[in-house]
Amino acid sequence: MAKLRRIVQVLFLLFFILLFIKARYPYDEVKLPSDLGLRFSPLIPLFDFIDSWSLSLRYWPALIILFLTPFLGRFFCGWICPLGTTIDINSKILKSPSNKISKKWQKLRFFKYALLVSFIILAFFSINGWGYFDPLSIFNRALSILLYPLATLLVENGLLALSDIPFLEDAAYGIYDPFKNHIMPEGQAFYQHVFWIGLFFAFILGLEKLSRRFWCRNICPAGALLGFLSQFRFYERIVGPACPVCNKCQVECKMNAIPEDDISLTNKAECIECFSCGEVCPPKYKAISYRWRWKPYHSPVDYNRRQFLKTSAGSAAAVGLLSIGLVNKDENDKMIRPPGSLPEDEFRDRCIRCMECVRICESNGGCLQPDRIHNDITDLWLPVAVMRSGYCEYNCNLCGQVCPTEAILPLVLEDKKKVPMGLAHFDKNVCIPYARNEDCLVCEEHCPTSDKAIKFDIREVVLPDGSVKKVKYPYVVKDLCIGCGICEDKCPLIGKPGIFVNTENQRRLTKTQLA
Amino acid sequence: MKRRYFIKTITAGSAAAVLPLSLTGIGKLYAQKAPPDAVWVSNGEPNDLVARALKELGGMSRFISKGDVVVVKPNIGWDRNPSLAATTNPDVLAAVIKLCYEAGAKEVKVFDRTCNEPRRCYNNSKIEETAKKAGANVSQMRNNKYREIKIDGRMIDSWEIYEEYLDADKVINLPIAKHHSLSKVTLGLKNLMGVMGGNRGSLHSNFSQKIVDIDRKILPTLNIIDAYRTLVANGPQGGNPDHVKLTKTLIASPCIVTADKLALELFGHTINQVEHIRLAAEQGLAKYDPDKANVKRVNLG
Repeated sequence: MAKLRRIVQVLFLLFFILLFIKARYPYDEVKLPSDLGLRFSPLIPLFDFIDSWSLSLRYWPALIILFLTPFLGRFFCGWICPLGTTIDINSKILKSPSNKISKKWQKLRFFKYALLVSFIILAFFSINGWGYFDPLSIFNRALSILLYPLATLLVENGLLALSDIPFLEDAAYGIYDPFKNHIMPEGQAFYQHVFWIGLFFAFILGLEKLSRRFWCRNICPAGALLGFLSQFRFYERIVGPACPVCNKCQVECKMNAIPEDDISLTNKAECIECFSCGEVCPPKYKAISYRWRWKPYHSPVDYNRRQFLKTSAGSAAAVGLLSIGLVNKDENDKMIRPPGSLPEDEFRDRCIRCMECVRICESNGGCLQPDRIHNDITDLWLPVAVMRSGYCEYNCNLCGQVCPTEAILPLVLEDKKKVPMGLAHFDKNVCIPYARNEDCLVCEEHCPTSDKAIKFDIREVVLPDGSVKKVKYPYVVKDLCIGCGICEDKCPLIGKPGIFVNTENQRRLTKTQLA
Repeated sequence: MKRRYFIKTITAGSAAAVLPLSLTGIGKLYAQKAPPDAVWVSNGEPNDLVARALKELGGMSRFISKGDVVVVKPNIGWDRNPSLAATTNPDVLAAVIKLCYEAGAKEVKVFDRTCNEPRRCYNNSKIEETAKKAGANVSQMRNNKYREIKIDGRMIDSWEIYEEYLDADKVINLPIAKHHSLSKVTLGLKNLMGVMGGNRGSLHSNFSQKIVDIDRKILPTLNIIDAYRTLVANGPQGGNPDHVKLTKTLIASPCIVTADKLALELFGHTINQVEHIRLAAEQGLAKYDPDKANVKRVNLG
C-alpha cells in the first residue's frame, strides 16, 4: 500500500504541475481547465458556502474528497495534496527527526484548528485569510512566483551560456528550441514580492527540520477541516496479537498519529493514511492490518472549548483591527484589478491568492503581479496590474477563465475588450511632447482600441532659435480608453512614464450582470 | 492656321506611329536588357501579384543566388487577424518564400520583433502557420542575438541589429502598406524597425532622421510592399474592418525609397508630405532617382 501511495502521490504531483504548465497562451479551456487542480482544495467549498450559502458543483473534486473523508480519513493529505508531497520529498533532504525528538511539538496540534476557526470567523466578516494558507494555493503560488521563474532563469541562461561555446552552439540550441517551444515558451518572469512569497514557502519547508510534516500536523487549515471530519473514520488500523511493541511504527509515523502509550490506537484526526506503519512493521510479525469496521472508535480532535473561546476572541479583535486601518485614496487608485473582477470587497473575499491569473498573464501581456500592502495586510498577493512592467493584452481574456473561485469572472473576449480596468492619464511634466516639444506618439501607436483612445492635436511651437515647428500633442478620450496600460508599458521614458493608468473609470461586474 | 494644322497632324501622326512601337518592340527590347526599377502590379490575388512582380523584375534569381540564406522580413508587429491589415498578408509572404526556394535559396528565415506578445502575433497574423507550410524557418527573436553595429549617422551613433538579419546573404523586406500617425505611413523604411533592438520607443522623437540613419546600414536586397489590403486609418494597429481598403496591389523594387515613394500613391500623399521618405531620398538611400525611376505598371484585372 505504501508503495502504491507513493506512486499516486507522484502522479498527482505531476498532474498538478501539468495543469499549472497548461495555464498559458494558447489556452484550451474545454479539455482540461487548468484551475481544476485548485478546485481540489477541501477548503474552497466550505468558504464558498459561507460566502454564497449554496454549494457549487464547480468544486466537484473538493466535494468528492470531503464526502469520502468521514469514511477514509485524511487520505487527501497523504495521497493527493501536492504541498504534502513536496514536504515529504523535502523532509528526506532535510532529514527530519523521528518522533522521539519531535514529539515535543505535539502540543501545537491545536493551532491548525484554531487557524481554521479563526478563518471561518473572518469569513463571516468577508475577510479572506484562508487563501494565504490553503495548501493548493500555496503550492500554485510557489510554482508561479518562485519555481517556474527560477527554472526559466536556470535553463534559459544555462543553455544560452553553453551556446556561446563555439563547438556546443548547435547542441545547446538543439535543446533550447524544443524546450522553449514546448515547456517554457514565455520569457523570463519578474515578480514583485518574490522575497516574501519565497520566505513563506521556505518557512513551510524549513519546518521539516523540527518534525516530519510539521505544516500538516500543526498549521494546515485544510488538514484541520479534514481531521475534524475524520474523527470517526471507518477504515481502521488494526494491530494484531503478534505485535511485540517494538514501537517502530510509532517512531516512524509521519504525523505522530500513533499514541506512545497505546500503539494499537490511531489518532484518526491526525492519520493521513500513508500506510508507512504497515511497511515498517517487521516482516516476521506482520502485526498491522487495515480493515473497515462498522463500529469505529472515536478519536477527538486536539482542540478544547477554552482554546475555541480564545481563538474567537482573537479573531474578533483581528476583525476589528482590520476594519480601522487607514484607507488612503492615493493608494487605492493603484489597485488595478484584472478585467472582469468582482467589486473590490467581494473580490478580496473570494480571491485565494493562488496566482493562477498572474501566471497565465505572464504568458500574455504580463501586467499582473502579486500585490504589495497598500492599506492593510489583506491587500497582500491579490492580483494587481502593474502597467509599467506589462500591459493587458487586448485579445486576451485568460485570467478570468482560470480563476478557480470566480473572483475574476470569465468574460467573453468581446465583453472583455469593453470593460475598462482603469483610465490612462498623461503626466505632462514628463511626457516627451509636452515636456520637450518633441514628437513621440508611442502611446498612440500602441493604443489597441479600433477607434484609438489616444488622440492628438497638432500645434505650432516656437523653438529657442526662433523657428516654428509643428508638434503632435496626445490626449486621452475617456469614453474610448479601457485602461489596458500598453501606453504606460511602452512609454519610452526610462523611468516614470509620461502616461499612466489608475483605477479611475474602472468597471467591476457581478455575476448577475454577467448573465 | 494651315501651318499649325500641318504641324499638329505631323506630331499626332508620328506619335501614333511611335507609340505602338515603344509599347511593343522597344519595350520588349528594353525589358530584355534591363528590368524596370520598380513594378506596380494591381488587381490580382496574392500569388499572381507576387509571381508577376518578380517576373517583371527579371525573376527571383536576379536577387537570390543558389545556396543563399535569405531573410524575409514581414510585418508581424500586432496581434491582429490578416483581414484587419495590420500585418503582412500571409499568402503574399508564402509566395515570396516559395520563389526564394525556387531560386535556389538554402534557407529562408522569417522573424519580426513584435509589439504585442510575440506568440500571439505570430499566431493570429497566420504568418507562422503559412510561412512554415511554405518551408520557411519561422523563429521568435532572441534577446541575446542582437549585435551592436556602428551607425555614425546624424543622430544615431550605434544601434543593436538582429544578428540573423546581419548575417543573411540576402534580405527581402516585405512590409504591408499602412497608415501611421507619427510617420504618416509605414512602408519599407519603417518596416526595418522590426530587426532593431534596444529601446525602439526612443526612436520616435526625431523619428525621420533616426530611421534614415539606421536604415542606411541595413538596406535590403529587395523590397516588396504588400498592398493587397491597405490600412488607411487608425494605424498602425487598425482593428476596424472599415479602415481596411482592398487595394489588391503589390509594389516591388530593389530600391527601398523608390518602392516607398510609389506606395504613397495608395494614400494620396506626395513625398514632401512624408518626412522620413523625403529624408531618405535626400540623404542618398535611393538606388535610383525616385523621381525618374522607370516604373512598370501591370494591371492583372
